[in-house]
Amino acid sequence: MPAQGADTLETRAIHQMKGTKVTTTAPSTSTSTPLRSRFQWRVIDIVVASVIGVASGLIFVVWNVASSPALAPFAALLPGLQAVGGGFWLFAGVLTALVIRKPGAAIYGEVVAASVSALIGNQWGVLTLVSGLTQGLGAEIVFAAFLYANWRVSGAVLAGAGAGLAMAITDLTIWYVGAEVSFAIVYTIAAVVGGMLIAGLLSWLATRGLAATGALNRFGAGREIAKRV
Amino acid sequence: MIPIAAVNPVAKLGAGLIVSLFLIVTIDWVSATTALLLELSIIAFMGIEPRRFWLRTLPVWLAAPLTALTIMLYGRYGGDVYFEFLFIRISDGSVELALATFLRVLAIGLPAVVLFISIDPTDFADGLAQRLRLPDRFVLGALAAVRMVGLFLDDWRSLELARRARGVADRGRLRRVAGQGFALLVLSIRRGSKLSIAMEARGFGGDTPRTWARESRWGAAEWITLIVGLLIGVAATVVAVLTGSWTFIAR
Repeated sequence: MPAQGADTLETRAIHQMKGTKVTTTAPSTSTSTPLRSRFQWRVIDIVVASVIGVASGLIFVVWNVASSPALAPFAALLPGLQAVGGGFWLFAGVLTALVIRKPGAAIYGEVVAASVSALIGNQWGVLTLVSGLTQGLGAEIVFAAFLYANWRVSGAVLAGAGAGLAMAITDLTIWYVGAEVSFAIVYTIAAVVGGMLIAGLLSWLATRGLAATGALNRFGAGREIAKRV
Repeated sequence: MIPIAAVNPVAKLGAGLIVSLFLIVTIDWVSATTALLLELSIIAFMGIEPRRFWLRTLPVWLAAPLTALTIMLYGRYGGDVYFEFLFIRISDGSVELALATFLRVLAIGLPAVVLFISIDPTDFADGLAQRLRLPDRFVLGALAAVRMVGLFLDDWRSLELARRARGVADRGRLRRVAGQGFALLVLSIRRGSKLSIAMEARGFGGDTPRTWARESRWGAAEWITLIVGLLIGVAATVVAVLTGSWTFIAR
């Protein structure tokens, strides 16, 4: 009888779980299906993506303060050219995606970095999260367009361009509304170029460097390098 | 005194976004001024120490005139032109837009920053996972990483001391910061990998439904916060429409 009592408790607990829970347990135990495991986030993916996001967020905080004086000469040279420095706010998503190689990694990394930047305190407050979301989305769309299979330098640079374009659209609608068309065009081109070089190329180089240290041995990005050596 | 610190961070985030949304769609000085006056009168009763308030909002006070200056020099022109040089063209139209931009940046930025002053990362994560129902693995993973910031700072100091001991600390400041930053990233990824194993060992990311140690509360105060945000946005829009100055951004 006591055994049966325990049994009913257990079955009740199972019934309390959602139906979806039961279905998700089945594929997670059989990780042999390649497509499923390639797109599924492991715990290490989540934690390391978060760590990269937070570390990037700290760099954002430094750049939030340093960007105005650093970019003033660019703005004076050609109005809108200061957007080229925006790349230092765009690399988080691309870098996270290049390391983790999972759907949503670019959005996640950029949003975590933006949250850290907003929590520590900056001039954009809540809207930092909006920027983070759109910029991450810009990079994410590019990686998705390659079906999450292009992690080479071309994919990284194009994702950086996507993030730059997203940043230009967001900034021009939220902050620089009354600007002339020429300003908007220069701003957009500068943002895309900055995104390609800083967010794209630099992130790709950083990923290669990280892989070479062996820190990414548990990720696809790290194993690829190890094979080549 | 308004006990804003006790309000659920998700409600603060929501209120900030609602106010911003109403102000983003228009570019005129009336809606921005209305919102700014309402916001400042509420902020005055929040009991924020003056020193803390000015320190945290200083970037907004700096950004507002700088953004306005950009618009004044390169904004859409109209009416009399006062000054023209290369790309710069200061006119009646751009001066008006610059004034609107100045007030708009303040009206959007000040509440956004003030609402974020008192947010604790743990409360924020609890709210995001329990109230907004964001995936808990991701929210708690991010929270774990945020909690590592203190360690980052310790690591940074150790790296600095190590470089000094090796006699490579005095050469090229910029290169040193970049190299040290990369070393810090390697350290933190290694630590993150270890942390994830520890978390998994304790059942993180398993199939059992998660229970929460701290309940994220949602009550009258949270609804009031959201409604106040909505009222500010609506009031600013109504006043601007009535005075005929409401201007859609994509005209």
